[in-house]
Amino acid sequence: MAKGVLVDLTKCIGCGSCTVACKLWNDKKFSVEEPTVGPAAIAKLTANNWTVVQHNEIKKDNETVWRFAKKQCLHCQDPACASACFAKALQKTKEGPVIYYPHLCVGCRYCMIACPFNVPKYEWDKAFPLVSKCQMCSTKVDKGEAPACVSVCPAGVFQFGEREKLLQEAKSIIAKDINYVKDIYGEQQAGGTSWLYISDVPFEQLGFRTDLGTVPLSTYSHNFLKYTPVVAVSWGIILTGLYHYTKRRNTISEENKNVKL
Amino acid sequence: MENRSAKPQSVSRRGFLKMLGGAGLAGVAANITGCSTDQAGGKGWMPQQYQVASSWPVQVRGRVPIDPTNPSITRDDKKCILCGQCIEACEKVQTVMGYYELPIKDDITCVNCGQCTLWCPTAAITEVDHTEKVFKALENKDLHVVVQTAPATRVALGEEFGLPAGSVVEGKQVAALKKLGFAGVFDTNFTADLTIMEEGSELVARVTGDLKKPLPQFTSCSPGWVKFCEYYYPDLLEHMSSAKSPQQMMGAVVKSYYAKQKGIDPQKIYSVSIMPCTAKKYECQRPEMNSAGEKIGKPDMMDVDAVLTTRELARMIKKKGIDFTQLADEKYDSMLGEGTGAAVIFGTTGGVMEAAVRSAYFLITKQNPPDALLTLTPVRGLTGVKEAALEIPGVGPVRVAVCSGLSNARKILDEVREDLKAGNPLRYHFIEFMSCPGGCIGGGGQPRTSLPPSDAVRQARLDSLYTMDAKMYKKRLSHENQEVLDIYKNFFEHPMSHLAEELLHTEYTDRGKQLTAKKKA
Amino acid sequence: MAAQGWSFRMTPIRKLLILLATICVGVCIFRLATGLGLVTNLNDEWPWGLWIGFDVLTGVALAGGGYFTAIVVHVLHRHQYHIIARSAMLTSLLGYLLVMAGLFLDIGQWFNFWRPFVSWGHTSVLFEVFWCVSCYTTVQVLEFGEIFTERVGKKWHTIFKNAMPVLMIVGIIFPTLHQSSLGGLYLIAVDKLYPLWWSTLIPYFFLISSFFVGPAMICVESTLAGNAYKHKVPVEVLRGLAKIGGWFMVLYLALKLFDLSNRNVWDLVFAGNLESTMFLIELLFGVIIPILIVFSGMSKSRSGLFIYGLLVSGGVILNRMNVVFTGMSGKTGGSYFPSIWEWSVSIGLVAIGVLVYCFVVENFRILEHEEHHA
Ligand code: SF4
Ligand code: SF4
Ligand code: SF4
Ligand code: SF4
Repeated sequence: MAKGVLVDLTKCIGCGSCTVACKLWNDKKFSVEEPTVGPAAIAKLTANNWTVVQHNEIKKDNETVWRFAKKQCLHCQDPACASACFAKALQKTKEGPVIYYPHLCVGCRYCMIACPFNVPKYEWDKAFPLVSKCQMCSTKVDKGEAPACVSVCPAGVFQFGEREKLLQEAKSIIAKDINYVKDIYGEQQAGGTSWLYISDVPFEQLGFRTDLGTVPLSTYSHNFLKYTPVVAVSWGIILTGLYHYTKRRNTISEENKNVKL
Repeated sequence: MENRSAKPQSVSRRGFLKMLGGAGLAGVAANITGCSTDQAGGKGWMPQQYQVASSWPVQVRGRVPIDPTNPSITRDDKKCILCGQCIEACEKVQTVMGYYELPIKDDITCVNCGQCTLWCPTAAITEVDHTEKVFKALENKDLHVVVQTAPATRVALGEEFGLPAGSVVEGKQVAALKKLGFAGVFDTNFTADLTIMEEGSELVARVTGDLKKPLPQFTSCSPGWVKFCEYYYPDLLEHMSSAKSPQQMMGAVVKSYYAKQKGIDPQKIYSVSIMPCTAKKYECQRPEMNSAGEKIGKPDMMDVDAVLTTRELARMIKKKGIDFTQLADEKYDSMLGEGTGAAVIFGTTGGVMEAAVRSAYFLITKQNPPDALLTLTPVRGLTGVKEAALEIPGVGPVRVAVCSGLSNARKILDEVREDLKAGNPLRYHFIEFMSCPGGCIGGGGQPRTSLPPSDAVRQARLDSLYTMDAKMYKKRLSHENQEVLDIYKNFFEHPMSHLAEELLHTEYTDRGKQLTAKKKA
Repeated sequence: MAAQGWSFRMTPIRKLLILLATICVGVCIFRLATGLGLVTNLNDEWPWGLWIGFDVLTGVALAGGGYFTAIVVHVLHRHQYHIIARSAMLTSLLGYLLVMAGLFLDIGQWFNFWRPFVSWGHTSVLFEVFWCVSCYTTVQVLEFGEIFTERVGKKWHTIFKNAMPVLMIVGIIFPTLHQSSLGGLYLIAVDKLYPLWWSTLIPYFFLISSFFVGPAMICVESTLAGNAYKHKVPVEVLRGLAKIGGWFMVLYLALKLFDLSNRNVWDLVFAGNLESTMFLIELLFGVIIPILIVFSGMSKSRSGLFIYGLLVSGGVILNRMNVVFTGMSGKTGGSYFPSIWEWSVSIGLVAIGVLVYCFVVENFRILEHEEHHA
């Protein structure tokens, strides 16, 4: 069964444990130039930051409140990045994570264009650069462990488990508590994601894209690509037909000319 | 010879080129053959408690949040191992984290006590370093740089130089500061005595009813404690003595009284303090801590410009290569340099109480207290909550309580709150609160000890302060401090005068709106 | 003829081109050794820049003249256009080789370029592009074999000559597929590309525009080459080709208008922002005005056709640039302007193309092809 993570943003205190856990577990470089906690303008996902906790100051009931939003790959149900990868370097596993195989990657960066959440990042400073993004700690998930970031949160922000159950859980939380916005981010967006978010402030104020459709983006490519074989074959037939037809027509008109002469 | 040396050279050059080409090719080859066909990530490590199936509860998890703009403490993520010790300090010892409801409001709740800097095993959490700032000021010829040292640093600084815990290094500390180039080295003990005069007078006024403020009176010299009260018990702020902490009194006095006496432009004075405390870094930049500036119409001028912890001072001394243990003792500079035994015990839990009692006795009876009051055993020692009752002629029994460590403060505060609600008779007249366990000797800016911060070390430091009070200081009563008497004669006239109110007293902020305190379970 | 040896005239312009080409090669080597961060201004917000936008997307479109001519001359057997066939196909071949070079430079794991041949990401539009461009370039090289073996390895010539019809037809199917799938690449950017450009029809827009840019390029190229090599293609021939292009432009325009109405985005066309301005410039100067030129008397003159060619090519370049940059800028944030090194590579690649073109034209029967038949 596909795993997921439910993120309750109302509980985040911005401690950044999750970002440190990610770097420890995935052996990512710490760098003062790339902080992992802070306003969205400075705490950005990068090749070294697979996850960040973004600080937002939000007007709520005439008061300014601080809300933190942990960002990482959402592990789409039907990932645009994986469908866009022409070397299968990105793959959706049946356990849920969307993982990346460096040895298959060509470095075209089409996944970066494809991902509607702008998650995959590139190692611009490396001689042989690779794409870089959260793996949902898939080796841990395979062992039945929660992802590193999830396991360290002191504030109870995360629940790890089967996505379907978490979705039910999220629904019951927001139904019971009037403080939550009546929306689960990730339920539908771009076909749904393994990571689900609930919040007490509108998601767009936390830097989540809310203008996405509910159709998996790969559908658009698929609807185009599915005609390729048909087009190739029929176009070939038409061209061959035309080739012979016009050739013959020309010969006939030549002959006619010759006859007249 | 020449031939021989020429030959290996040419070989090595070719070898070098070969190596270059080889390395490049090897790199490419390694990539092409894709030595590894593993997926990305998962090549690092995690502390063992997180390597368990599913998400069962674990005993310690995560770390405390620290605002990047926190004036006191900072953390180097690179060094954090997610051991969770900072949470132990913050939640169990200080009852700060975990005592507010989620979601948070508009603040990362922190009382700046710095206990986490003592607990963090890798020293990922440290004080915000101001040594560079102070070195710069010392190099600036236009500035008159003065410094004050808190009571508790003189029994701890030696540890940073290999001396046994509790070694008294008062004179060496002064000598080192003079070597570092400070133009005036003053003793916070002086303003501790001044605090006693102000705070003691306030207590007497509350007891006699001259001041319409409720009892019990709370001490106000520990900024971490003050912020804790502002966050979690804003309804009790009326009880807080309005007297500033000794550090801020010194700051205000330096830029007013001292500047006037010396004929120095206060804006040219750069005032540094050496504190056992990280919360002092926060306290000095509280917006209201600019009384001297306010008085001369320069509200941007803060009373204290930089606060260094004991650890930072040790680093500065080491950086300048000063052989601390070999220094000959020197004396504090006069005018703001005299301190009494009552002041020096400010550095330990119970000390403020004892000092206040000594002078309150005098203020009420116009007589010095009997010897029994000079060794107020019940309020001494590392116990978290201590109580005592003493007989003061003309007033009757005065009941006091002393607590250190904010988890202990919570117990007493909840009692006070309940008593008030229930209309119970007054349990205490005066309560001393100190943010850190053991008081300033165990402050968040003190030298780190074996982990967790050890009581043995605290006890040694504490004993030394009492020894200094009993054996080393000539005077043991704040109201006998000659320089204190002078400042009243020359400047303030009397405790709680208008000028004293302006410079030596302060107000508090209700921070109850910045969090949703958890209801008591 | 082989005995004559190879000739290559040196002129000041060519010297300049050689200089540009040398710089380009230097930068390329540096880039391949050090990665992308030092040489390019690409960043996480702008993963695709000048090299993909100009060298690849635009390059492939401009090289569309090859399959356009192939259809007209070899499939439809319009022999009056034979005169331009070889040069158009040469340009196309060179164009594709440069596109491959550009792509190779742009991919981070360049030594891994072959991976998609064995690891099939068949759900990716890029997969189709990759296969088609690779195959088509191979086919074009084979097609060029017919010309090449006229001079070198003559014994193979008949084999190539006989294989030509099959190569031609295969060589049309591939570009048809990848010209459209280049546009199809952006289908997945549905939430990023500005709605003036994003459409489910974008593959067809790319396809049609790559088709009509063919004659336009031929007009430009033959004017330039004609001046340089005193080889004037008759105006009537060019005009005929341009007219074929013209009809496709009318089709393109009609489809655009239909698409805008269908998706209900006319308000965006006149929104007055950067996107709408660029869109209007692209459509007005790149499509509408050229249509007017080609179907009016203006296209009777060489200069008229030259202007037509320039406008259409410019329009297609602008269209591709708008898709890659203008259309993406709104949603991506961040900023990107190509570095001097990126420019030098893009310019240098063109310089290399021109130099090779000149060399081939001077050493193989490209321009005087018809005369030999006559
Ligand atoms: S969020 Fe982006 S990178 Fe992650 S799975 Fe979805 S498309 Fe792929
Ligand atoms: S799931 Fe794993 S890889 Fe992803 S952000 Fe969390 S710790 Fe990092
Ligand atoms: S560990 Fe939990 S509380 Fe801390 S920043 Fe991450 S999500 Fe927020
Ligand atoms: S005590 Fe230090 S190392 Fe441990 S979790 Fe806290 S900050 Fe990290």
